Amino acid sequence: MLDTATSEDDTNLLVAIVDTNPLAWQQSATAKIPLSLDDAIRQILLFFNAHMALKHDNKVAAIASHIGHCKFLYPVTDAETHRRQANPSKIAKDANAYPNFKDVNDDIIESLRSLMADTDTPQKNLNDGTSMISGALSMALCYINRITNQDDLGRIKPRILVISVSPDSPYQYISIMNAVFSAQKMSIPIDVCKLYGGEVAFLQQASHITGGVYLDVENPQALLQYLLFSFLPERYARNYICLPNKEQVDFRAACFCHKRIIDIGYVCSVCLSIFCSWSPVCSTCRTKFAFRALPPLAGKGRPAISRTASPAPSTAASPGSSSPMSTA
Amino acid sequence: MSVINFKTNIYDYLETLPIFTFQRLFQKPATCLAIFRLLPAIGRQIVMSILYVENPIPLKDIQSWVYKDGHKKLQEALHKLSKLHILEETPEKGLIVNSTFRLEFKNALSGGGEHQSFGLPCATVDKHKVDIAFLDHFASTQWEAILHYMVGTTMTKRPSRGVLNLLQKSDLMNANASESGLHITNKGFQFLLQDVNTQVWAFLLQYLDMAEMLKMDLVEVLNFLFQLGSLELGQDYSVETLTDTQQQMLEDLGDYGIVYRRKKGSRRFYPTRLATTLTSGTSALVTSLSKKETGTAASSAMIAAAEESHDEGGFLILETNYRVYAYTESPLQIAVLNLFIQLKSRFPNMVSGVITRESVRNAFLNGITADQIISYLQTHAHPQMRKRAPLLPLTVVDQIRLWEMERNRIEDKAAYLYKDFNVQADFDAAEKYAKDLDVLLWSNSKQRKMVIAQEAHETLRTYIKRRLAGNRDTG
Repeated sequence: MLDTATSEDDTNLLVAIVDTNPLAWQQSATAKIPLSLDDAIRQILLFFNAHMALKHDNKVAAIASHIGHCKFLYPVTDAETHRRQANPSKIAKDANAYPNFKDVNDDIIESLRSLMADTDTPQKNLNDGTSMISGALSMALCYINRITNQDDLGRIKPRILVISVSPDSPYQYISIMNAVFSAQKMSIPIDVCKLYGGEVAFLQQASHITGGVYLDVENPQALLQYLLFSFLPERYARNYICLPNKEQVDFRAACFCHKRIIDIGYVCSVCLSIFCSWSPVCSTCRTKFAFRALPPLAGKGRPAISRTASPAPSTAASPGSSSPMSTA
Repeated sequence: MSVINFKTNIYDYLETLPIFTFQRLFQKPATCLAIFRLLPAIGRQIVMSILYVENPIPLKDIQSWVYKDGHKKLQEALHKLSKLHILEETPEKGLIVNSTFRLEFKNALSGGGEHQSFGLPCATVDKHKVDIAFLDHFASTQWEAILHYMVGTTMTKRPSRGVLNLLQKSDLMNANASESGLHITNKGFQFLLQDVNTQVWAFLLQYLDMAEMLKMDLVEVLNFLFQLGSLELGQDYSVETLTDTQQQMLEDLGDYGIVYRRKKGSRRFYPTRLATTLTSGTSALVTSLSKKETGTAASSAMIAAAEESHDEGGFLILETNYRVYAYTESPLQIAVLNLFIQLKSRFPNMVSGVITRESVRNAFLNGITADQIISYLQTHAHPQMRKRAPLLPLTVVDQIRLWEMERNRIEDKAAYLYKDFNVQADFDAAEKYAKDLDVLLWSNSKQRKMVIAQEAHETLRTYIKRRLAGNRDTG
């Protein structure tokens, strides 16, 4: 489908979310085809340079999704820039590197270094050691929103790239999905490049819903080639270039009660929250359901006894379901 | 009157260079990067996709990467890539990136190598440091001095000899026998209506032509120009890494306001905004490409070009009643507007005028075309105008085009008149033959007369002769 809103003269803003979860990278570095964080960053930086090489005014932003928190790698805050410029070793510039590339690369490496130095001190809430993808996505969306608002002519075309190594965190299901739907609303494609680890159902859905690219990297050593080939095309070029995406998307959701990924569950008829087991009250919207889990057949014609709603679709229907308007 | 085609487009210029020159150009990563950015979007993507692939890729594979409706664009892109010698064809019908380009472009991306092509910032602090505002001022005064000289305002100083020479060589101005000074030509009028980036490139391309005559090394000149495009505004650079030719160029470029040096022989130079936007603004490229396309595509490209130069700040408001309000006090802008607008009143910070048939026709007489007027109005439209779509009132745009067409009501062609056919059948056959060849300019079957374009005269005569002879034989 042609995306007519894009043109060849657009400025492209690439917001990359790099999963920096040290635990996952540790595993990746010792996998069958190993790829350490250092190697990956080197290739990712080259990819950023390639993106900026495409056009003079192409922009890049990078966010680290770390354990328990996330942080902007580039651009850094003004205070940070001043602090770094005060450092004399940074001033030495050389004529062999394109200044735009060099500044971005140096900033990212510097930020990563400080991020990694902080990690050594034990974190208080290491909730099951997963990366903060949802936080990073929200940060990316906020950043994009700010940048596009500043641009009156609407010529900045943003997209998000998630480079993921760690597995899904069902705890973040709700916030990830909220971010994904906002991205869809703002028509920002979310590309997902999965380097290591099992299936990531949520990110698959993210790229599917927003029309982004999803790629399972088979040979992580060749990350750069994957990135250049599949994730570099800007939104205008995507009208013409075939890109990989997932044919079979894992649409499973996580339940709100125990954060388990489930195939079949109960859905609240009022707020559409998902539960893995039946409960009398929806924990999200506090709707009281009718107590009878299995409906007696004779109850069909009778009006609802109490003015309560029912745990609707799934498998069971309670008497209240015949009059869906009777929700509390 | 034909539009004099400015060789503004650096791409067109590069195309004419021999492969040997390219091999040398590609040795500088800064040049590789600048040339790479000249490519269309699909072309850039193809290069990136196969940059790190060592083996040739069959053409068929590359075609399979693109959807069906992108094939035309792909073809175009591949054509450009091979013209610029970036992609090379191997005997087995495969495509591979030129090895020099591959190596140096990788260096550009990774910041490796020992080429020093991105300019060496000065290690020491300049005692007479200048700021960006100063550089902007310097650039605009230098550049406008040239333009002022062209429109003949006498308030600025005369440009240097080198500039005058270039103006004359490029046929923007010519020496008038009766008067002492130089006189602006039709081409010069057209030049004035272009946006600054295009003007600068037009000037530099002319400079390149001259460089060949002056026995300067073309590759070094081009490398330096592309290097300028990659420099940072407000940073001082050392002349150490420059070759002799390039140091010589510094002096000339200083005259145009492209670089600033405090005094001749200074060890450092500052690029101005004219330099740093050389390769970034695609506006020069877009407008020249749009001439090849037609209709809506062309106009949208021009709007894009106009937006490109947004930072220059538009000052023109055009209303549907043909009135123009220009918020400017620059005598240069007013002089340029005067080329096609009848100015009515003048205020401290603005002038107003009307676009009339007479004023536009005057512009046409000077060799300016309707498209140039329209694109000028678009480029310099006031930010308030920019919020509307279409940018310019359609009535005015159409009317300017109509006025141009008025002037082209008659066109003359050398031709031959054929008449006095004895038999209607002979006439019909000859007429059909001419039609098939697409050389028939006019015909009247009743009077048995037709007019044939000059170049087809011989072919048609032999055809008729043969036919008549054939008739005689059988009859």
